Amino acid sequence: MATLPDAALAHGLVGRQDLPIPRWLFGWAAAAVLVASFVGLAVLWPKPRFEQPSERRVASAPPVLEWLCAAIGVALFGLLVYAGFAGSQTTTSNLGPTFIFVLFWVGLAVASPLLGDVFKAFNPWRAIARAVAGLAAKVSREGLPAPLPYPQRLGRWPAAFFVLGFAWVELVYAGRGDPSNLAVLALAYAAVQFVGMSLYGIEKWNDYGDGLAVYFGLFARISPLRWQRGTLYVRRPLSGLSTFDPVPGTVALLCVMIGTTSFDGFSGGPTWGAISPELTDALHGIGLSQATALELAFTIGLFGAVLVVSALYRLGVLGMQRESGVGAMTPAQLAGRFAHTLVPIALAYVVAHYFSLLAYEGQRVAYLVSDPLGTGRDLFGTADAIVDYSWISATAIWYVQVGALVIGHIAGLILAHDRALAMFSDSRVATRSQYWMLAVMIGFTSLGLWLLSAANS
Amino acid sequence: MIAPLAHAGHWITDLLTVVPVVIVIAVLVIHSWREKRRGGGTGPVDAPPPAA
Repeated sequence: MATLPDAALAHGLVGRQDLPIPRWLFGWAAAAVLVASFVGLAVLWPKPRFEQPSERRVASAPPVLEWLCAAIGVALFGLLVYAGFAGSQTTTSNLGPTFIFVLFWVGLAVASPLLGDVFKAFNPWRAIARAVAGLAAKVSREGLPAPLPYPQRLGRWPAAFFVLGFAWVELVYAGRGDPSNLAVLALAYAAVQFVGMSLYGIEKWNDYGDGLAVYFGLFARISPLRWQRGTLYVRRPLSGLSTFDPVPGTVALLCVMIGTTSFDGFSGGPTWGAISPELTDALHGIGLSQATALELAFTIGLFGAVLVVSALYRLGVLGMQRESGVGAMTPAQLAGRFAHTLVPIALAYVVAHYFSLLAYEGQRVAYLVSDPLGTGRDLFGTADAIVDYSWISATAIWYVQVGALVIGHIAGLILAHDRALAMFSDSRVATRSQYWMLAVMIGFTSLGLWLLSAANS
Repeated sequence: MIAPLAHAGHWITDLLTVVPVVIVIAVLVIHSWREKRRGGGTGPVDAPPPAA
């Protein structure tokens, strides 16, 4: 998060933590909570509850609201692109970087599990595509040609690629703090989404190909709220995850989501601080420029983190296969069937790693809405607003981070236990199959806490 | 040799963080080994339902 100069400070912790016990002891306590939850599930959760989720309709909104949200999304997208090109090129003076990396990337990830798929309502390229498709259907006498069938093997691979690309820009790309670069990238991203939607259909591409739509859509499945065609449904929290299809690329996408967040924490710690200069020098020594060598070193680190997370999950799946004796399923199939358990973990990592960023840097929006281009305007009288670093203490942030990690991993355990009960009629086999998943969950929790400690040390 | 010792405070704390993982993995490995020795292992289970 070096995108915003002060964000590096906020992403760590501002002020001294006043913790009653050492940080590592929180890891032990978290592991104890997970083991206790595992035992509790084995005893108190004997039947699957999420496999046939039910929901009830509670409200409906007029169609105009849908179009209003879409119009707001398009207007915001236009403003960000315009600000990127026409506004100040100072990172913190332009609305673009703060909006994209803090409010959008982190804020929507936090809002989606609470409010449902907010991004889908405001998605600007989906809105433009729907408007164009509607208009073209009216103008054309023969109607629009049917979209191509979405290739099964493509699955969520495009989404995994785009999320990795976004994370690369956020964590590696040297020009990430330049608003005009971000505007170009936003336009390029939109252009690719238009191509995808025109080839495979708007909704299909949004469900599988558009990385940002899929990313926020996965978090929205945690939510007890679901919006569809202007109707609001209520369901049990987490139940939306049990119905999503584990198409190819799903596990990769989730490993990318967790791995890239992990690398963000890892790259702020002393271990990467020691490795990075050595790696950069070695790459510089083979003829690369210093800047390219640095980017390549961080790219290697980013990919390495994704591979480590993938290996951890693979370990859990292999252990599950061994303990349950599911010879009929390959590890890849088994990994897909349990992929949804990684979604709350990915969210936990986002909250744990970026909560301080959202809490502090998110406040910049107060002055940026009055002066989005950084040209000295004061549209709403808030141009003089400043970031208040004292509204929440470093200790409180630490507790939010630890709480998020523990709750996210308990949610993962619940989903894994429920899926195992559905797959194995013998509840003892189901519980036994989850031994290694418990180890993986404790591993992810410890990794998360270690990354937070490292980043704050 | 001085550098690792000078940073001992960091990596000892790091090691303490991973202790729960090591304990759980050790318990699982011992459990698997004992199951294997007993000749029990895992019996056949129901075929899983088709992917959603």
